[in-house]
Amino acid sequence: MIRHLETEATRPNRVVVLGAGGFVGQDIVRHLNESQIEVVSLSSSDVDLTKPESVERLRGMVRDGDSLVIVSAITPDKGKDVATLMRNFTMGQHVSAFLEEQKCSHVLYISSDAVYSDDANPVRENSCCDPNSFHGLMHLVRERLFSAALQKIKTPYLILRPCAIYGAQDTHNSYGPNRFLREALKEHKIKLFGQGEEKRDHIYIKDLSRVAALGLLHRSQGVLNVATGNSISFFNLAEMIARLCGDDVKIEGSPRANPVTHRHFDTTAIHKAFPEFEITRLEDGISETFEEMRASIGT
Amino acid sequence: MIGFAGLSHLGIVSSIATAAKGFEVIAYGETAALCDRLNEGKIPFFEPELEELLASNKQRIHFTADASELSRCEVIYFALDVPTDDSGRSDLSALDQLIERVVVLARNGATLIVLSQVPPGFTRKLARRIERLEDGRSLQIFYQVETLIFGRAVERALHPERFIVGSSDPHESLPKIYSELLSAFACPVLVMRYESAELTKISINMCLVSSVSVANTMAELCEKIGADWTEIIPALKLDKRIGQHAYLSPGLGIAGGNLERDLATVVSLANEFGTDDSVVDAWISNSRYRRDWALRLLHREVIPRAQQQEKKNPVIAVWGLAYKQDTTSTKNSPTLSLIDVLKPFSIRAYDPQVVLDREPHANFFQSSSAIEACKGADALLIMTPWREFSSISVAQIRDAMTGRVVVDPYGVLDAGACVEAGFNYFKLGSPSIKEQL
Repeated sequence: MIRHLETEATRPNRVVVLGAGGFVGQDIVRHLNESQIEVVSLSSSDVDLTKPESVERLRGMVRDGDSLVIVSAITPDKGKDVATLMRNFTMGQHVSAFLEEQKCSHVLYISSDAVYSDDANPVRENSCCDPNSFHGLMHLVRERLFSAALQKIKTPYLILRPCAIYGAQDTHNSYGPNRFLREALKEHKIKLFGQGEEKRDHIYIKDLSRVAALGLLHRSQGVLNVATGNSISFFNLAEMIARLCGDDVKIEGSPRANPVTHRHFDTTAIHKAFPEFEITRLEDGISETFEEMRASIGT
Repeated sequence: MIGFAGLSHLGIVSSIATAAKGFEVIAYGETAALCDRLNEGKIPFFEPELEELLASNKQRIHFTADASELSRCEVIYFALDVPTDDSGRSDLSALDQLIERVVVLARNGATLIVLSQVPPGFTRKLARRIERLEDGRSLQIFYQVETLIFGRAVERALHPERFIVGSSDPHESLPKIYSELLSAFACPVLVMRYESAELTKISINMCLVSSVSVANTMAELCEKIGADWTEIIPALKLDKRIGQHAYLSPGLGIAGGNLERDLATVVSLANEFGTDDSVVDAWISNSRYRRDWALRLLHREVIPRAQQQEKKNPVIAVWGLAYKQDTTSTKNSPTLSLIDVLKPFSIRAYDPQVVLDREPHANFFQSSSAIEACKGADALLIMTPWREFSSISVAQIRDAMTGRVVVDPYGVLDAGACVEAGFNYFKLGSPSIKEQL
């Protein structure tokens, strides 16, 4: 589903990360730094994308020939309402206006698997995009806005659509590995919706950063899902985390409010795009995250 | 005298089969060298039993690069295979040129039959075109469905299940000589309007694709839930609504070109006429998905392990390059698409009949024998079920390989013997058999 403009990995001149203050942006910056790729980190304190003047401000900060990674978004933990959606659209509108006029070498947008319809199973890059949340709708609209802007100036454009991301620095605390780890470490219990029957795929933040870097090195264009291809039930995930955290962690079910749904990914495209890319096994990623969290909590 | 125009696979097989039924045959092809070779009894491709059939009927068939010889024929078949592009779209230009060249040479009263793979509507348009070229002659045009199967072409050509003939007027009798020719094969002859015959061919292939898609879909479930598709197949075949000869073997997607052509044609017609083709889209999607079965397996079972053992790039032995056994065709071969996306890894390939003109990438090496390909390999993939592979000893394979993974989608090797030899064994439609490595 993606095409590499650089068949051999070629270091970009400079990478600007928009949204470098967030969980994903921070880790991409960390990885690019470790890979000795020059990075400029921009967060909302450097440029407020909700403001019209951000377009001009970006022009002063981004140079022709830069590669641009766009991660900025107001995440669902900060609001799932219409007002948040409209603010996210506004940010997208300003970035889009900037992109139309800027000669970037390559643009990478970190989108989400929330763009796909709920019944897309297994999810592939060409699965139907019919988001059921404002968060998914926001990403889909921004994907298209940026695409339209970049087509005008013929700039290569890569969209990454990760599944649920986990990692120690995640502040979102959404239902899944991060919340389970925090609950287990602090409260010695993990609370499940229903009995945790739903199966989901979880990608380690470091894997997402590595794929983003590979996309930049190859100036890849197109759409690529970032997932492991192995979905696990929340119950089995909770068990895995409970084992890590100690015997006294209890897994508590709750009355089911919604029907059980599952999501699986067909990861063929990522194998084809980056044959040597090795996806971190969930057990290993969770274990690393656990160690990091434990160190920061001091338990 | 029966004529054939177009010496590709279809034309060569059909002309020899016609000679084998006792008819005098003139087979025309543009290339003199090819005609010379065929007149010497040599077949330019691999097709079981065809060379022997030609040898035993040589006296009744003459291959020529001189189109004017076809003017002696009462019946002329246009039997050029129509090539397709990567999307399955037909390129009819060579067939059109051939028809143009031959029609002007046909004798008065000749019967012209299109045997090539043409889309619905082609023959009626051709009939109108030929009316303008008749020039005082009376020519009759028919379309005859071909159901050639690579690797089983001789059997299919000599013993067809039925003939399906498209006619401008299905109520009129077929010309005498054409009728005699078809009768020689002793099978039912179904005459229908052009469009129906053209769509019958496609309908046959849609039924086959449908069965294979069912097999692929259910086989994947078998792999996940611990069922074995080979145990289920006999039960299905005993159901009269499914039948003994149903296409129920799971595979690595649809390949070879012909089925893909018909899928593309149905999608194109549905788009043009606004009919529902969602099921066809699903078949195409399933086919693409299954084609990558071995790739996903390698990324699950072989590549991460090799990388964890600090052996950065595993060596992968691949048996079979043809899209199926008993053919040299590699059109849409799942092996070639697999090799293409394994560029960083060393591939050691072997095929009993196919030698690639150029190596797909720098890490690709074509071996001279099956065992040679296994030397130092971390995994063996048996991508084409050539019969000769089943007689290779598992012990020999084990001794040649360094790794212990056999990916055998079609079950060519004995699964038990592989497991006994310490291999992790993977087959389409069956749960994997694994040792704890």
